Amino acid sequence: MAETSTPETRVWRDELRRRWALASPAMIVITLFSILPLMVMVVYSFLAPGLYGNVIWEFSLRGWAGVFTERDLFDDTLGIAWAHVTILGRSVALALATTALTLVFGLPTAWFIATRHPSTRAFWLFLITIPFWTNLLVRTIAIQEVIRADGTINRILLSMGVIDAPFAMMFTNGAVLLGMSYVFLPLMVLPVYAAIEKFDFRLAEAAYDLHASRLYCLRRVILPLMKPGIVAGSILVFIPALGAYVTPRLMGGGRAMMWGNLIDLQFGQGRNWPLGAALSVVLTLVVAGALVWYVRATAAKGGRDG
Amino acid sequence: MLEVQSLSKTFGIGASAYHALRAVDVTIAEGEFFTLLGPSGCGKTTLLRLIAGFEQPTAGRLVLDERDIAAIPPNRRPVNTVFQNYALFPHLSVAQNVGFGLEAQRRPATEVKARVAEMLDLVQMGHLRDRRSSELSGGQQQRVALARALAPKPRILLLDEPLSALDLKLRKDMQTELKRLQQETGLTFIFVTHDQDEALTMSDRIAVMEGGRLQQVATPRTLYDDPANRFVAGFIGDTNFLQGEARGGSVTLAGLPPAPLAGANARSGPVTVLVRPEHVVIGHSVPQALQVEGRVERLVFSGTDTHVHLRLGQGETLVARTQNSLHSGTALEQGAAVNAFLPLEALRLLPDEAAHG
Repeated sequence: MAETSTPETRVWRDELRRRWALASPAMIVITLFSILPLMVMVVYSFLAPGLYGNVIWEFSLRGWAGVFTERDLFDDTLGIAWAHVTILGRSVALALATTALTLVFGLPTAWFIATRHPSTRAFWLFLITIPFWTNLLVRTIAIQEVIRADGTINRILLSMGVIDAPFAMMFTNGAVLLGMSYVFLPLMVLPVYAAIEKFDFRLAEAAYDLHASRLYCLRRVILPLMKPGIVAGSILVFIPALGAYVTPRLMGGGRAMMWGNLIDLQFGQGRNWPLGAALSVVLTLVVAGALVWYVRATAAKGGRDG
Repeated sequence: MLEVQSLSKTFGIGASAYHALRAVDVTIAEGEFFTLLGPSGCGKTTLLRLIAGFEQPTAGRLVLDERDIAAIPPNRRPVNTVFQNYALFPHLSVAQNVGFGLEAQRRPATEVKARVAEMLDLVQMGHLRDRRSSELSGGQQQRVALARALAPKPRILLLDEPLSALDLKLRKDMQTELKRLQQETGLTFIFVTHDQDEALTMSDRIAVMEGGRLQQVATPRTLYDDPANRFVAGFIGDTNFLQGEARGGSVTLAGLPPAPLAGANARSGPVTVLVRPEHVVIGHSVPQALQVEGRVERLVFSGTDTHVHLRLGQGETLVARTQNSLHSGTALEQGAAVNAFLPLEALRLLPDEAAHG
């Protein structure tokens, strides 16, 4: 006999239908703007490049082969694409360095704001968020103005007689690091601030009462309890830093290229869309790896160091 | 032995200065269960925080074992605190919480382990040693906080209203438990509370505080029977205040014959006499007592007792507490005229208020 429709199962089925109906707007947005573009990238990475950009609809592994290998111009032998390896290495290193630098400057900043009187905290947070409202290009060019050969720093140092010739800062890894740290600092400050603001300072008092030195209290009580905020800030800075495009382009030029610029190159001058798509998928995988680490780090039961 | 010598604490300066503690002098004996009792804002918590080291005194000395400890930071004072909200470390287990003070002092791991086990046994929490503090009930958190503060073997244990977050039944159990712990360890406890019942049942001595000053330091019995002033009399237990006139060694209450009261010799003029509600006798006469007439205005049943509110002939009110027994004779009724008897030995003459600051 077929499944009978008791009142209970009918109620349950209506409930399920209602849940799907309510969830559908979110599902549609996620599919349209997140899953679909990603699938396009994956599909394109397995196609052949067209002569003037675009793709030819036939299966090809050339895009993926080009990620870390290249054919020699003269004898056509297959070798490792050292330039790509270098750029990936630089991207990861610069993104990590940016994360570290924003943490070093962001933690004390967040601490300062979180320990102000509640009535003045909003003002300090407002100051931190101002750069968010400013165009990224404008912010990056402003930093450029400060460090270029005839920029503010060099002019001051020259006029003071500290140096004889302008100090070259533009178009180096250092310039990219400086630019990215400046641009991404608020992304570190805000989650760390939220963690410090939630911190119950009576716990620090209890630790102090229990014979802990200030350093011991910081290490065993304050930092472990702020870990979620620090991890969240690190992820928020690391991910966009890894895929950064504008800042390395303006601050690093062609010499300090990052992964994002490499992708841009393939879709533009390189006219190799499948390679560009494959490079994008690689970036997405690295970011996904970072997110998995984040989930592990925050879901795991805190620090059991003891 | 802890000597508090003219200890003062002022917050802020100039016109906005707040005097939390005004020249407090008290000596707390070895192994004593000493309670600081008073309403909120009386300075009891400030005094505790000064002893813990979280605040620096504005003036005065804090002498422990003949050494002024006022300048020593909290982490190097041989004093530990049980905090009002327990302040357990949420990211650590019960055992790690208890061992925190010892590990912070870099004691050897074997010693820490043994001491933690000993402390957890003492508060009967050994079976929950690996739980996180956030997974414990209020009473269990309380026990862990106690074990944690006791583990580093402090010279003095400070307790900042540790029972105020517990419900009544649990609070009564913890009172007994605390007293047992104090007697077992022989440690000096300084206990802060605003709950007079808690103070009376547990303490060896109580310091009643108000306005940043000590109002009276005495045993629970003395505080109750011989309060030093009107504040103490009103704060500890229920009291009837009666206005009278002292003359020639006797006190005359309105409309009553003069009565010879202890301490009346030295006084003349208007005085306040107090009598506890449970000492007022209704219904049968007693020798050596003042007899007053009144009308029953209100009867409040409270389980073991009934509070009888009387309106006296002169318009004053008098509260009597009568025990509810199986054979309490004729029941009182609202509006009934009754005779109440005030035994002379139960009448206390309040010391002259003007003599106090």
